[in-house]
Amino acid sequence: MEKNNADVILQIRNVSKAFPGVQALDKVSLNVFSGTIHGIVGENGAGKSTLMKILSGVYKKDSGEIIFDGKKLENVTPIQSMNMGLSIIYQELNLINQLSVGENIYLGRFGIMGGRKGVHSNARILLDKMGCKIDTYKLVSELSVSEKQMVEIAKAMSYDSKLIIMDEPSSSLSVDELRQLKKIIFDLKANGISIIYISHKLDEIFDICDVVTVMRDGHVIDTRDVSDISRSEMISMMVGRTIENEFPPRPNCAGETILEVKNINTNKLKNAQLTLKKGEILGIVGLVGSGRTETVRAIFGADKVKEKKIRLQGEEIEIVSPRNAIDQGIAMVPEDRKVQGLLMRFSVERNISLARLASLVSFGFIRENEEKQMGVRQIESLDIRTPSPKTKIQSLSGGNQQKAILGRWLELKPRILILDEPTKGIDVGAKYEIYLIMKKIVEDGGSIILISSELPEVLNMSNRVITISDGEITGEFDPVQSSPDEIMEKAL
Amino acid sequence: MQKKSLMHSAINSVKGNLIIVGIVILIIVTSIIEPKFLTLGNFENIIRQFGVLIFVALGMTFVIMGGFIDLSVSGIISLVVVVMVSLVDPIGQVNAIIVGILIGLACGLLNSFLIISCGALTQAEALFLTYGMGLVYAALALMYTEGMTIFLSYAETPITIFNAIGTGSLGSIPIAFIIFFVCLVILFIIQRWTYIGRSIVLIGENIVASRLSGIPITKSVVFIYAVSGVMTAIGAVNLISRVMLASPVIGGAIGGGYETQAILAVVVGGTAMSGGRGSVLWTVIGALVLTLMNNSLNLMGVSSYIQMMLRGAILILAILLDRQKQISEGK
Repeated sequence: MEKNNADVILQIRNVSKAFPGVQALDKVSLNVFSGTIHGIVGENGAGKSTLMKILSGVYKKDSGEIIFDGKKLENVTPIQSMNMGLSIIYQELNLINQLSVGENIYLGRFGIMGGRKGVHSNARILLDKMGCKIDTYKLVSELSVSEKQMVEIAKAMSYDSKLIIMDEPSSSLSVDELRQLKKIIFDLKANGISIIYISHKLDEIFDICDVVTVMRDGHVIDTRDVSDISRSEMISMMVGRTIENEFPPRPNCAGETILEVKNINTNKLKNAQLTLKKGEILGIVGLVGSGRTETVRAIFGADKVKEKKIRLQGEEIEIVSPRNAIDQGIAMVPEDRKVQGLLMRFSVERNISLARLASLVSFGFIRENEEKQMGVRQIESLDIRTPSPKTKIQSLSGGNQQKAILGRWLELKPRILILDEPTKGIDVGAKYEIYLIMKKIVEDGGSIILISSELPEVLNMSNRVITISDGEITGEFDPVQSSPDEIMEKAL
Repeated sequence: MQKKSLMHSAINSVKGNLIIVGIVILIIVTSIIEPKFLTLGNFENIIRQFGVLIFVALGMTFVIMGGFIDLSVSGIISLVVVVMVSLVDPIGQVNAIIVGILIGLACGLLNSFLIISCGALTQAEALFLTYGMGLVYAALALMYTEGMTIFLSYAETPITIFNAIGTGSLGSIPIAFIIFFVCLVILFIIQRWTYIGRSIVLIGENIVASRLSGIPITKSVVFIYAVSGVMTAIGAVNLISRVMLASPVIGGAIGGGYETQAILAVVVGGTAMSGGRGSVLWTVIGALVLTLMNNSLNLMGVSSYIQMMLRGAILILAILLDRQKQISEGK
């Protein structure tokens, strides 16, 4: 960090911001140097987005000072900050689908650019400079996500930006698209432009950034050169304690077969089948749309199927609705937490009691005392961080929401727990807690079917892995012995 | 800072109840400039208008809390009144009332059966389906009487029960009010403490998540529409007791009759049009405010066309406010 102060493009000094009940930022200080790529990492709720929104003028800071390019940044509007050379590219891109690429780049500045013709010719020059071949007359709605990102970057360039902030830019990019984005970021850097790169994905931080700042609970924990920090060090700074590994030791308590599923046939699935042992974690690896979710939904009775045979502990059973499955001790945490799992405007307590509610009824009335105890019990045992059991679940972080949904099912003491993308969109610390919960479930004699798009998660947590591709089960692997490549090959 | 947040919360609560605030202002203005508003005669009038609406609105509250809608209630009213009045002489007034309420129940069950067997589990689908069934019930009423009006006052058997409901009172409390109060208490208990009551708001909030957690969808939908049918039939009994005749078009045009008023009462009370939130208690306030509004507008001589327009505007405003609230809550 021995750099001259003159090279500092953005200086944040002691910036604080409070929301009712939360100190979102507490005396945050941070320097960004010219021509560097500066990563910011932190768990959800660490204060990254609040800081960005203060920089762009969406929020007002309570105290502190921000100096950008030698000028004080005070109460600016988003447009003013762009004109000063500070652009932000949000995760949910801010382009207008019904306008062309060129019009989007010079939005609101058609007059200065000399009308339609000027807009397109200037946009062309700009995109060529970036080595980007998108037709400026094309509508934005016809572009891929990565192309839209290019347009956003071009727009930032058109304001002569000295600093571009990218919020989770890679979240919906493919590997190739990410490679292209990386190249453009390096080009920008070569031209002396600074980048703030916010991401959950630590691999990208190591791959792309020069410097990284770790934030937690509204504080800056540390800023380091990327070459001076290890991955595990970074993670332990993010979560505030040392995590030796990203995964707990693999549980090993598989016993005899508890579940046998055969001949699941639907429009999508062709004779899908699987077996599950008591105390086992079975991983299912497949692409989105491979039929992995359809398979578990069929087992759980969530969808109608043409045919299926289920044997639970040797006995043939019929499951035609989630209710049947629940009565047999089968539980499922569905893949889309918001749409399929949560009752957003209901309290944490009522979200937890949901699956066991039917057993808390006498003469048609709910025994509300027991419901309350249930909530308290799960909040304590899973360490769900909520101000109170009565708090609406929508105000909790993703990780805590997911723990509440797990609590909902754990109340049933299920024999079989199906987890479809259980750690999607939640941060490292909460992920680890969910792995520990999974471990405890199988140690207590439960069995788990795990679906995840994150291969390391499946490979590190499962006792056995099956692959599914195009509606058919294509292979079975021991995750300890097999290489990820072998497994992925069968899943493609 | 303190002052600012006080102001802020005051503004927010006005914003949250914008419609009620507006109507209350209207009522205050009316009571100042129109002396007739504050007379005993007018209050009796108000109570009577409130009498039919409130029963339908209480049933509608359950429907809307569950994330559904029932546009068949005017049809049910028409069908129930004509059958009930025609049966007073053949089977007696008690049996006639029982049959009337069973018809309401049957219509509600039929609605729910069709909704479930068609898988019409969204509000929009339920809207079209119950609209269609409302037409069927209204047509049945017309076919039953061949378009004629039947007069209860011509009945040869005693109609003491209808008279009691229409004009009688126990001590100084009108009997119609006692019926209303009993219904309210029962529905409130169901809504607040029972499993079926909870199931209704759960499916109104998120039917997918509720189903995946084993909440009984079919049972809840059947219950919702059964309550709506029965409450509508009780409203019909009150209506006959007041007007003493049964016309096959008494429920009003489908979509323009009691359902509009009932839906308005529910949403003016603050129950979310999108389901998941609400209370029969709020609906009582909504129905009362709405009845007072209708009365005020009548007394002020506002044309009925303008009144119709106003009702439509209130409904749209209520949906808009609900939507805004959802957005601000990040749903």
